[in-house]
Amino acid sequence: MPTSATRATKAAGFRIVMWGFALFAIVPFALLILTSLKSQPDLMRGAFALPSRLHFENFVSAWVDGHFSTYFRNSVLVVVPVVIGGVVLGTMSGFAFAFLSFPLKKMTFVMLTLGMMVPTEAYIIPLYYEMLHLGLINTYAALILPQIAMSVPFATLFMASAMQQLPVDILEAARIDGASRGRILTKVILPLMGPSISSLSLFLFIWTWNEFLIPLILVNDDSLRTLPLGMLFFQGRNTINIPVLTAGAVVVILPVIIAFLFFQRKFIDGLTAGASK
Amino acid sequence: MKISPLDGKPAANLLFVLPSMIVYVVFVFGPIFAAAGLSFTEWNGLSRPVFVGLSNYTALLSDASFLLALKNNAILLIFYCLVPLAIGMVLASAVSTVGSHERLAIRTLLFLPYIMPSAVIGIVWRWLYNPVFGPINQGLKQIGLGALAIPWLGDLTWALPAVGFVVVWYYFGFCMVIFLTGLQRLDPSIYEASRIDGAGPIYTFRRITFPLLLPEVRIVLLLTIIASIKSFDLIFTMTRGGPSNTTLVPNIYMYEMGFQLSRYGYAAAVAIFGAIIIFAVNYAVHKFIKPKDGV
Repeated sequence: MPTSATRATKAAGFRIVMWGFALFAIVPFALLILTSLKSQPDLMRGAFALPSRLHFENFVSAWVDGHFSTYFRNSVLVVVPVVIGGVVLGTMSGFAFAFLSFPLKKMTFVMLTLGMMVPTEAYIIPLYYEMLHLGLINTYAALILPQIAMSVPFATLFMASAMQQLPVDILEAARIDGASRGRILTKVILPLMGPSISSLSLFLFIWTWNEFLIPLILVNDDSLRTLPLGMLFFQGRNTINIPVLTAGAVVVILPVIIAFLFFQRKFIDGLTAGASK
Repeated sequence: MKISPLDGKPAANLLFVLPSMIVYVVFVFGPIFAAAGLSFTEWNGLSRPVFVGLSNYTALLSDASFLLALKNNAILLIFYCLVPLAIGMVLASAVSTVGSHERLAIRTLLFLPYIMPSAVIGIVWRWLYNPVFGPINQGLKQIGLGALAIPWLGDLTWALPAVGFVVVWYYFGFCMVIFLTGLQRLDPSIYEASRIDGAGPIYTFRRITFPLLLPEVRIVLLLTIIASIKSFDLIFTMTRGGPSNTTLVPNIYMYEMGFQLSRYGYAAAVAIFGAIIIFAVNYAVHKFIKPKDGV
């Protein structure tokens, strides 16, 4: 039988290991933020040295000279329509999967799950040539349309499973009142879907914000690059000015961190529950 | 399936699915099929594709670079899968014993890497690993381990483990959170009983915790193995497969073959090969790791 003293030291040991790993997870972010506030001479004094004062001008420099203002605008211009498109399409087809019968329903379902498994890398070549033929290479449409399409399987299955949780009697009552299905979807179901729609929007936002391959292949005009791509090309142009590079990285990840901290419960529960299915 | 009060005529119902399915087929499903078709051809992107049957696939099996990419990917599996799984499970057992506020804080911090853009993470770690002004080597020098301060990502022996280290960093917290959710599902009285029976922590872990967590183990295996086969962004931004192919993985090879050398048919075969492995892994994990009923 362990005494309470050894148990206490054991618990303390556990704690140290636990917080050690937590530290390991966030040290790169801490270094990133620290470095983004340094001047070049500060950096010369060592990676862990504190800056003499906070150099926010690195952010101005990344934003203006590093074109991060353009990349940021592009990211927003892509993310907003993708989230809206994904939610609208997912709501409609999710509704169909939850409540309606239609030809080839099973096969359609298999098709969607297949698309969730196959990585984008597997079909990027035909997608590139399709975009080329449609004349959409180097347009916002090339960034937006495929990403809406990539959101469809998850959005559909997510919304369908959320709608299946609704109490049937509400829907029955609405139907007996003679409302059309479009009306029931928008006036009865949608108002009850708030939490699901916000979770879905959050996931689509993160995935689209972080997307790398689609903009890497389908766009090569600097004025259309989104943040992760802009970051890569900025690094290519500018390997020496580390403070400005790290300031750029902070600009890319800060919206993700903020969204995460605000909605972390929704995020973690949603992503782990989604994974468990 | 029971009939829903909202069901109507099939033609009217289709209006709800068609918009999604059209977008999906045009930009995802169609291209997947086209990629499969393309993998049976030789095509430089300009002239007409020439049908060559399975010869791209047979060529792949004797292509030293592709085999190296597969081997690298197999080694990376240790970092994508085994290490995060082990760390995640041990940490989850520790974290599940602390108070709810502390648990929430740890959970939040550990989950952070997983939601980050992996391309940007690659660029950041490239800087952390930088031989001259990278914090890692500066730190090693400061604590008197200057001999270890090698150019990690440029070293033929250490580049792959160095990439693997970043992968572990990226995934271990995610694994921990999944196991933590699993542990919270378990009945605490089981632990009470095993403690009264005098079972030590290792015995408890081996005979109780691990078997009861099998559903979560299955999820973690599935997600991390698939992630390793999909790996592209992180490696592309950190090493591009170098130095001299020591960190080459199939998707980077696909990019080189297709978008740099214009061997699109061959590149498509590489890509389809990866997709087939993903299906196989999915099947194998579902088939061989079966949680006991009622869990």
